Amino acid sequence: MDAPAIITEHLTRNFGQLVAVNDVNLRVAPGQFFGFLGPNGAGKSTTIKMLTGLLAPSSGRMEILGVDLTANPVEVKRQIGVVPEGMALFGRLTGAEYLNFVGRMYGLDRLTAAKRTAELLEFMQLADQPKKLVTDYSHGMQKKLAMAAAVIHGPRILFLDEPFEGVDAIASGTLKAMLQRMISRGATIFLTSHVLEIVERLCSHVAIIHRGTLVAQGSLEELRAGVESQAAAALQEGGTPGAVPPAGEKLTLEEIFLRIVGGSRLADQELSWLA
Amino acid sequence: MAGLISSEARGQFAAIAQVRWQLFVNSLRTIRGRLEMVSRVFIGFGFAVGGLGGAFGVAAASWYFTSHDQTEWLALLLWLIFLFWQLFPVVATAFTETFDSSNLLRFPLSYPSFFMVRLVYGSLDPGTALGGLWLFGIWMGVTVADHRLLVPAGLALLVFGLANILLARMVFAWVERWLAQRRTREIMGILFFFIIISFQFIGPLMARFGGRKHPDVSRFSGLLLPLERLLPPGLAASALAHFSQGDFAAGFASFGLLCVYAVAFFWFLNVRMLAQYRGENLSEAAAAAVPRSLAKPGSKEKLRAGWNVPGVSGPVAAIFEKEFRYLSRSGPMLFTLIMPLVILLIFRLSPGKSGPGGQGFVVRTPDLAFPIGAAYALLMLTNLIYNNFGADGAGVQFYFVSPVRFREIVLAKNLVHATILAFETILIWIAVCFLYRPPSFYYTVTTVAGVLLAAPANMAVGNLLSIYTPKKFDFGTFGRQRAASTTAFASMGVQAAVFGIGALAFLLAHFLHKLWIATALLLALAAIAFVCYGFVLNRVDRIALARRETLIGELSRA
Repeated sequence: MDAPAIITEHLTRNFGQLVAVNDVNLRVAPGQFFGFLGPNGAGKSTTIKMLTGLLAPSSGRMEILGVDLTANPVEVKRQIGVVPEGMALFGRLTGAEYLNFVGRMYGLDRLTAAKRTAELLEFMQLADQPKKLVTDYSHGMQKKLAMAAAVIHGPRILFLDEPFEGVDAIASGTLKAMLQRMISRGATIFLTSHVLEIVERLCSHVAIIHRGTLVAQGSLEELRAGVESQAAAALQEGGTPGAVPPAGEKLTLEEIFLRIVGGSRLADQELSWLA
Repeated sequence: MAGLISSEARGQFAAIAQVRWQLFVNSLRTIRGRLEMVSRVFIGFGFAVGGLGGAFGVAAASWYFTSHDQTEWLALLLWLIFLFWQLFPVVATAFTETFDSSNLLRFPLSYPSFFMVRLVYGSLDPGTALGGLWLFGIWMGVTVADHRLLVPAGLALLVFGLANILLARMVFAWVERWLAQRRTREIMGILFFFIIISFQFIGPLMARFGGRKHPDVSRFSGLLLPLERLLPPGLAASALAHFSQGDFAAGFASFGLLCVYAVAFFWFLNVRMLAQYRGENLSEAAAAAVPRSLAKPGSKEKLRAGWNVPGVSGPVAAIFEKEFRYLSRSGPMLFTLIMPLVILLIFRLSPGKSGPGGQGFVVRTPDLAFPIGAAYALLMLTNLIYNNFGADGAGVQFYFVSPVRFREIVLAKNLVHATILAFETILIWIAVCFLYRPPSFYYTVTTVAGVLLAAPANMAVGNLLSIYTPKKFDFGTFGRQRAASTTAFASMGVQAAVFGIGALAFLLAHFLHKLWIATALLLALAAIAFVCYGFVLNRVDRIALARRETLIGELSRA
């Protein structure tokens, strides 16, 4: 059996007194489309930064494709592609120059880098304005370029921090098609997103982090079953009937998420002046 | 006007004033903010002394000119105030309030309120305060000298002050518009650079040609004086002079023209403000976005492989290419790199102590032109050497997620700097040959030895400081891009040490009458510097990983 794509053991990160990520134990199997969810400030980006070498953990262990990240960071980085939070682009290069640069940084030879650059620019619909500098790209174009840069070397694992944020529907469709093709060919994708509908549609497995602590992990069905059984148990103890979905209906990921992290506030009695 | 005095508008003004006060108070929470506050108090005290002293000075001068019937000299005072008022915010940008008006647009602010807020907050700078204070001084001076001028002089100076405020705001609003886009920003940067270079030449040229009689000068000044009287300071002075002579008709004519200027400035400012109020978007992305349907057919880039740099790995070659592309697209950086040649030219034109006809130091000792030029080239490069990652901005994150060791990344950047330095040294040698005389073999070799010492020494320290005290900077703009203070101090220390050692080697060689000693000494020290450089380079990976959060945080800052 293949080694897990990603393993974290007791992964912890402190910022002074604040424990941003607390004792997180993750396990992502190869070929999984893995959604890493959590409310704002829960520790998603901190975790993804640690997993990609952008941030050192305070304690704990990380293994990517069976290789210890702290001991062999370069070996791990060869196997992964990353779209970090800030996209990490070089603004004063053209899109083609940037992709060429990234390809060669990942060890591709000059011709292969150039060939893949042309293919990716075409696929991402960025080939029309070859002289345009990245700094002059719109946000959506920059996102597509960052995505192209993350896959140019054919990574086995792709880490994406909010990949669909600010991307239009057409580009979003293109990106999803590309990601699904990667999954069908055995790649692993680790994604954070606030758009739960997208995560529900794409991801087979999900983990939820809340206030730095991992509060749920598993396939969507496992999470759903867990929440429903908790609701049923609560109902037996006199809870509200609405907590259990009617027969034949499934809880959406958004409902599962809200039940696990505490749900949103009801504004019936509050903010009565709102239209 | 009704929009300005409604209770809603008053509430909005109060809210804006309160939020700015709150921002100021919150800034004092950090040590840096408190230090900033202390420095502002000191600077404010300096301005207050200068402002009050200046006000007394201009009051006395105005009183003297008015009471001695020499009111035409008031024009001099008004021109000085005018130039100060308009140029101070440009020169001392650190003291100028910047205000992002786009933040206000989401609120139901009427256009008059928006205009007023922009005008008032934009004018809260020492230039306006001091200019206003000095105008008040003039008013006091002329009124004490002649009580009849109380109202007319007050009116003329008030409108003159208003015209100054409007003009300063108008210029800023239009320059802001032009600076919002990279292309125009770079064009303005280059123009600014040319102006700076032109100022460098004034001294040498004046000294060289200033002693000769130029009959055209008096003819030009004869033409310029009437023109001066048609500009705002001249008009204000003319109005004051006419009022003082009892010629109220002529005085009010000048005053009327001054009002026309104020209205014109208001109109031009209004054009910009209105565009901003309507939600003008100056962002480059929006301006540059071309719909797919409008893109030229067949404009796709041909398959183009990256550079092949012999003797280095693919990633090093890729960084080498990237750095050169960055530099080649930066007008300001390219101009910085030709500065050593400009300096050699300035030295060539400079007069000596013996007067305008004499020769400058470098002309008298041309052997030193090459070492001086090479040293200057190195100094110009310190901007890059001591802040390796400054231009990468948030892109520095990529280096940490890529499978390339930091050692290679830094090496590639140093390779670029070394290539530029070598190229510049050759260029300077050629320029020295043309401007002075070909440097002797001894000076050439010794200078190269000095460069071989200075380059690795600077790169070793620069590589460390690039990681420890990085500072984001934009290759596309001039000015206000100072390095971190620590970097500046360390750089000065290294330069002092390297140049000191170089000078000592030269002195020793001259003292012993064995010129080769300097070369040998510098080469020996260069070998030590190379060892130190290698030592630092081998530890860069570990240091960069340990410092990655600071490095990324500092360079990713908006």
